[in-house]
Amino acid sequence: MVNTSLASRLAVLALGLSAAAGPALAAGGTISGKVEATPPKYLEDTVVYLKNVPGTFPKRTEKMDQKGMKFLPHVLTVTKGDTVDFLNHDNVAHNVYSPDNEGYNLGTFKQNETRSHVFEKEGTYTQLCSIHPEMLGYVFVGQNPYASPVDAKGHYAIKNVPPGTYQLEVWNAKLKAPAKSVTVAAGQTVTENLTLKR
Amino acid sequence: MTINVLPLRLAILLAVAGTALPARAIPAFARKYGTSCLTCHTAYPKLTPFGEAFRRNGYRFPGVDSDYVKQEQVALGQEANKKTFPKTVWPAALPISVPIAIGANGQAFAYPDKNASVPRASNGTQLALDDLVAEGHLWTGAALDDTITVWGELTLSPDGVDVEHAQLLFNDLLGPKHALNLVVGKGFPTLTSFGPHSSYLADLAMPNAPVTAIYSGSADPFVLVDNYTGLEVNGVVAGRGDWSLGFNTGKNSVGTVFPNESFYGHLGWKIGGMRLDGEGSQGPANAMEPWAETALTIDVFGYRASEHFGIPGAAPGATVAVRDGSSTLGAAVRAQAGSGEVDLGYYAQWHDHGTNDLAKVRAGVAYAEATYVVYPWFIPGIRVEDLMLSPNGGSTVSDLHLMPGAAFLVRPNVKIVLVANVEIGNGYPQDATGAPLGWQGGAADWGSFVLAPTDTATPTTKRSELESIAVFLAWAL
Repeated sequence: MVNTSLASRLAVLALGLSAAAGPALAAGGTISGKVEATPPKYLEDTVVYLKNVPGTFPKRTEKMDQKGMKFLPHVLTVTKGDTVDFLNHDNVAHNVYSPDNEGYNLGTFKQNETRSHVFEKEGTYTQLCSIHPEMLGYVFVGQNPYASPVDAKGHYAIKNVPPGTYQLEVWNAKLKAPAKSVTVAAGQTVTENLTLKR
Repeated sequence: MTINVLPLRLAILLAVAGTALPARAIPAFARKYGTSCLTCHTAYPKLTPFGEAFRRNGYRFPGVDSDYVKQEQVALGQEANKKTFPKTVWPAALPISVPIAIGANGQAFAYPDKNASVPRASNGTQLALDDLVAEGHLWTGAALDDTITVWGELTLSPDGVDVEHAQLLFNDLLGPKHALNLVVGKGFPTLTSFGPHSSYLADLAMPNAPVTAIYSGSADPFVLVDNYTGLEVNGVVAGRGDWSLGFNTGKNSVGTVFPNESFYGHLGWKIGGMRLDGEGSQGPANAMEPWAETALTIDVFGYRASEHFGIPGAAPGATVAVRDGSSTLGAAVRAQAGSGEVDLGYYAQWHDHGTNDLAKVRAGVAYAEATYVVYPWFIPGIRVEDLMLSPNGGSTVSDLHLMPGAAFLVRPNVKIVLVANVEIGNGYPQDATGAPLGWQGGAADWGSFVLAPTDTATPTTKRSELESIAVFLAWAL
């Protein structure tokens, strides 16, 4: 009896915590798979994401570093309203600006300095450095946090997706792929492979 | 009539040895795209239909060129910088390594007939290996982005170093893709829908007629296919029509620079086979024969040229010059049926001061080449060239050149061409005194018009000779 009561209390507590955390921490499923791209050299400029997931999502702060004259990570996924801290771990000055959407220019900042930008609009923001025009990164701003960059081998995984049916879409800087409908069940992994081309 | 043949012999030697061989394969592209020479060439520099499309497109693949680049690139700016122009420089890219290719070529001659023109000028030599390595080449070919490309060639020979090609190509300037391009720099004028080296048996598809060199000793005569500095606009319309309009410097072989601009243009149309721009290609009907297609291409062209050269007989170094203006009209046809190909062409050229006494002269040049790709490494064929000269008030003379032979591709980047050269002359051009002159011109150093008069020849002497058996060797890395 005591054990039953304890178990019930723990279950209630777990449910309560889950509800408080919102959809992101709900007992969700995973969507994973592989993206093929033609030509494959554009593969790493890809984000797989879910479109229009209902709910509100807590605002977060993410980081994009500048190190070795590169934006790291090359592609960062965030949610509308999130803040991105742009770091500089090079011993040369950098600049961060984007000509996309509302556009912004964070000015010139030296080593170990951090400058931030709040992304209020959905879309993909090209990250450029006016001092080093060869540098390139992307900040993908989604309506929801269910998005995953694609790794060098084409793999992606969107985790903790609330059970339901969604539209799975792909963003790539140069290539396109048709959207897919995907149904996710709690605790399960759905595999969806995608093909990108011109 | 007694003739001093020594100057003739020297002139022939100079004509044979002094003509620079133009551009060939460009392995820098093989490295850039990570692809074999055979993607674009059969026996290089002869191009497949795809290779011709690549050349016409300004050395770019159909579709989006950068999609096919496998060589690592250094971004000189990211594409997104276009959105911030003019506050930023328009972006471009550089290949990670200098896009240079190297190569060498030359020819060896066997002269079965000791009395043939060239061995007579070479002291009776029957085997000449002197020019087996006649030239070294440095080529470059690169794209700065998806629209601007660069093409260059530096040739090193005993004559010195020559910038044969140095061109910036601004592609897709206006209208539909490939419709309007601008080429700036030094290179060949575009007179047909095919590359200037589109021949298996000669260096040039279209033979040259150096009229002022034949008659007046011009050291740098105007010829149709040569490297000129200038501007050209060209393009491919609807995938089937090819056009060009060009403006370039003419020839000036005297020290003083005279105004000598020239103009030219061409129109071509292709029926059947791959589109001229290669867009939307479904690939060759037989994947084992990417060179094969069934198509007919017709070109017409015109050229108004000017040349300044020293007045014949003037003191050496004199800056007094005469201007020879010439007008050319011509046509070319390529008919291809599978692996068989026939090329036919003719042009007439009217010079207003072309002869030694600065009289008018008309030149007529006909050429044909029939080949069959038996294997991708073995392409036999026969080539015919004919040069006719008709000076004002003089008799018409002609020289027919037959070249049976075969091209062998030892490796995709090593080529041998074996060619026999037979010449049949119907008279000789005459100098101001009426003495016969040697023939010059043609489409290859290893098979040019070289028929020279014998000591007892007259301007109407008919003569034929097995001039040589030539082996041309070329490699490129």
